[in-house]
Parts: sequence; C-alpha cells; structure tokens
Amino acid sequence: MSRFFLGTFAVAMMFTSCIGQAADLEAAKKKVSEICQACHGMDGNSQVPNYPKLAGQNQDYLAKALRDYKSGARKDPTMNGFAGTLTAQDIDNLAAYFSAQPAVLQSRM
Amino acid sequence: MTRSIPFAASVAAAVAFCAVAFAQAPPATGNAEVGSQKVQMCQGCHGIPGWRTAYPEVYRVPKIAGQHQAYIVKALQDYKSGARTHPSMRAVASSLSDDDMANVAAYYAQLGLRVAQ
Repeated sequence: MSRFFLGTFAVAMMFTSCIGQAADLEAAKKKVSEICQACHGMDGNSQVPNYPKLAGQNQDYLAKALRDYKSGARKDPTMNGFAGTLTAQDIDNLAAYFSAQPAVLQSRM
Repeated sequence: MTRSIPFAASVAAAVAFCAVAFAQAPPATGNAEVGSQKVQMCQGCHGIPGWRTAYPEVYRVPKIAGQHQAYIVKALQDYKSGARTHPSMRAVASSLSDDDMANVAAYYAQLGLRVAQ
C-alpha cells in the first residue's frame, strides 16, 4: 500500500519538475529591494502617480509587460533599461511576487 | 541704449520662461463623472474579472480600477503614439482626445478607491 503511495508521489514529482521551476519569491524580493522599490514601492503599491501600482496585478500581465520592455516591444527608457538586465527566471519571480502582494487594484466596475 | 540690452535680455528670458512653463503645463485634471460616460469601450475587457486577451498573445488584461490617474493617461498616450502596440488598445486610444484620456483615467482612479472602502 505504501509502495502505491510512494509510486504516486514519484510520478507527481516527475510531472511537477516537467512543468518548470516554480517562482522564487525570496529571489524576487532581493531584486525588488535592489531595483523596483525605488519607484514601485517594496509591496508594489507605488506612491508616485507616474508609476503604476503593481500589487495584486495579474501575474501573466506583469510577466508580459516585463518581457515586452526587455524586447523593446514596449518602449519606456527607464523600464527598457531595467528589464534588459532581467533573466526569464527573474521575470517569472517578479511577476509572481508583485501579483501576490495585497493590492488596492480591483477589476470590478 | 546700454540699459536697453539688459531689458531686452530680461524680456527674452521672461518669454522663454513662459514658453517652458506652458510647454510643461500639467495635464488636464480629468472629470470622473464625464469619464464614466466614455468607458463603454473599456468595460468589455477591463470590467470582467479574469478576462483574457485573445490576440496577439493570451494573458489576463490588467486591472485598472484604483490605478494612478497619471499612469493611466500615460498608458493611453503610449498606445496612441505607438510606444505600446496592443492592437485593440491602439484603436481605442487613438479615438480619445487628451481630455477624454484625463476623464477616463480620473474615473478608473477613483473607482478603485470607492470599491476599496
């Protein structure tokens, strides 16, 4: 019986590793403290009107925005510079981090 | 004559100052009430929690209620200018005047605050 559970667990672990590396929130926090927080705040609730609030924003939208800044598809001198230094893993980490912060953003009308 | 040169210089400086001041005049304040009349074209995507864009990439559209007004205006201007390229947002933003953008942005900025209370 326990062999059955062990087997199930092993198969589950194999699937998990296939899905890809999970976001590393601690690594994201370090990046945020080094780069992002100056404008967006440590928790993504920017106090500066020109800079968007990121806390609670959709994770896939945040990742797309960073990829677009990195590729140059979205143009902003500041963000092109910062996003250019990020790896694909950094982007996944940061998108997961900011989307998980408590937010004042709502999508209700 | 010797005094007219500094005078002329100060007039020129004043004119230059005014030109700079007007060029950097803050954007229109925006009227949320007026903006609420313009958001029909926004609601289809931004009013539905979890709505996903279909083209050219699939991802959930950003939440904008409660976002900073100035940033929403910047985003709309960037779509209009082409600095941002999403096809539907480019079409929507191109149809908006500067006043429309300020009003719509004011509407969404205060909407989040109201909902959060």
